[in-house]
Amino acid sequence: MAMRWRRGYLRVVRSSFATVPFYRELWALSGRTEPEVVPGRTGVDGGAVRAAALAGRVGDLVPLAGGPTEIDPLRGLGPVLAEHLAVTAGTLVAVVDPGTPRPPVDLPAGVRSCVLDPSGLAGPYAGVLDDVTDHLRRGARVVAVGGDKDLDQLAAALPETLAHLVTRVPVRDPDDLAAPVGPHALIAHPLLGVLGGLGGCGRWHIDHPRVYLRATPAGPAYTLLRQRSPRLVDVLAGHGRPGWCPRHGTPVVEP
Amino acid sequence: MTLTAAIHDPRADPEPDGWADFTARCKLHAVWDYGLMRLEAWMSRNPAVLGVVRDGDRIAAAATVLICRPRRARYADAPTRRKARLRPRWAEVYTPWLSGYPAVVFDPDLTGEGRRAAVREFERAVLRHVGPGLLGIAYRAVYRDMVSSMTGPLRRTWRNDPTSVLPNEWPNEDGWLAGLSKERRTSIRRYARKIDRDPTLEVREGWGRTDTDPYEVAALINSHRARLGRPRTDPRTEVAGVFLAEFLRRPDVRLLTYRDADGTLLAVNTLLDHPTSTVLQHWAARPPAEGGRHNLYFDCYLRCVRHLVSAGRAELTSGRGLMDVKASLGFRARELHTVAVPRPSVGRR
Ligand SMILES: [Zn+2]
Repeated sequence: MAMRWRRGYLRVVRSSFATVPFYRELWALSGRTEPEVVPGRTGVDGGAVRAAALAGRVGDLVPLAGGPTEIDPLRGLGPVLAEHLAVTAGTLVAVVDPGTPRPPVDLPAGVRSCVLDPSGLAGPYAGVLDDVTDHLRRGARVVAVGGDKDLDQLAAALPETLAHLVTRVPVRDPDDLAAPVGPHALIAHPLLGVLGGLGGCGRWHIDHPRVYLRATPAGPAYTLLRQRSPRLVDVLAGHGRPGWCPRHGTPVVEP
Repeated sequence: MTLTAAIHDPRADPEPDGWADFTARCKLHAVWDYGLMRLEAWMSRNPAVLGVVRDGDRIAAAATVLICRPRRARYADAPTRRKARLRPRWAEVYTPWLSGYPAVVFDPDLTGEGRRAAVREFERAVLRHVGPGLLGIAYRAVYRDMVSSMTGPLRRTWRNDPTSVLPNEWPNEDGWLAGLSKERRTSIRRYARKIDRDPTLEVREGWGRTDTDPYEVAALINSHRARLGRPRTDPRTEVAGVFLAEFLRRPDVRLLTYRDADGTLLAVNTLLDHPTSTVLQHWAARPPAEGGRHNLYFDCYLRCVRHLVSAGRAELTSGRGLMDVKASLGFRARELHTVAVPRPSVGRR
């Protein structure tokens, strides 16, 4: 498992060095580690990238052959919900976020979704809120994803008898994993999307088929293994270090 | 005369001894700066290496040569020491961002037979460097009076699109304008006045500017090039921001920018100065459909001609393409040739 995970990462690194302007420049001229791509050039922070350094450079994250430039802050939501909450057909996923531009695109088949701006629950989003209420009345499952405060606002706007039926899934930034949370939660980052979720074991599990995590001198760095464009490799986010869950045998981030 | 030749890969090899002296002696443009060549090569699909021919210790000739391969959407592999590579490669003797100038430069003292001999030594060095996979060598943008140094049995020579040259024949810009058609003259003056009075347009020009994001400039140049549709045979890669970051801060490079009231970059031009042959190098503009403005192109030419006459340079060149428009601005055609050398003829007379 660990070997295969690492091989996938090495493939992304090699392909990014060969085809993506941003990483070509960074690693050819400065360098990187684990692996080095130009012998002897080790770079800064092992070649990892601060998210701020990507501002205004999204065009350079597109491979030479071309590709999309859109950043999806909800990328990976579907697979992580399916893995940790067994979200299945008939569920409504309600994303509560003041900034969410569009609904999630990678939910399992048959799962519906909606997007709510918490400040507009009595205004432009009243209709969407009604939809959520109907769902709960029918006894269907509603999974609400958002920041703690945003989820509180949603709960306050719902009829008291229904609010507690919502499955709360608070979203945590990678630098905010130490605070207590539970039983469900997601790790999400504005550029990288959803990186993992809280396992039944209480550990922060990485969505390892899609995300690689590596320790660097500047902290943990995340790589999207399946997003061809815009390519995101070794992006520094939050604190903590990579580890393995003894119960599940899969990668986690330890706060 | 004993000539020897070597290939220097700017990504891996140090600057050749005597390189600064040679570039000064031959008055080479800024793109021959070894540090810039290094940045350019790392960011290339077909990286340029530098061929250096010496007579004894002294550099007698040099050439920029792109080692090309069929795959388009990939940067070149990092340099290795492994030899005898069989993968197919061909060599384009070409200066990536100075397409109207030959990429072979001879020391002024090297003449006739010496030049032919230097070219053959260079070719043998390319063959050693590339290995048995070398398919041939193409010399691009060769001036007519240089062709004879490269021709020979099996070699083919043909004429390409010419480059455009404006010889400096006037004491001031009015002299230049007076020589144009009445229509062109009035329109250039009208555009210049309009641009001058437009409060929503910010025009800035300056040498060695560091106030502009080089990645923003690169993005505009690359989208402009993509829109024009690059021929499949173009061996160049996209302009790299990291290259421009070094290039634009040079004192012999002038950057001209046009911005909208909201700061959107509408058009850019780089002017590459030179003691005799100044280059109107990059021109890129946002299309009108995306908020671009018409006629900034002519304003740019006016500003470049202004430098030509005020600095007393001998000529302003403006590359290939759009010859009709350039002719209306007084530019003339300068013949360029390609000499193609198939593998069996490489290094032979
Ligand atoms: Zn676990």
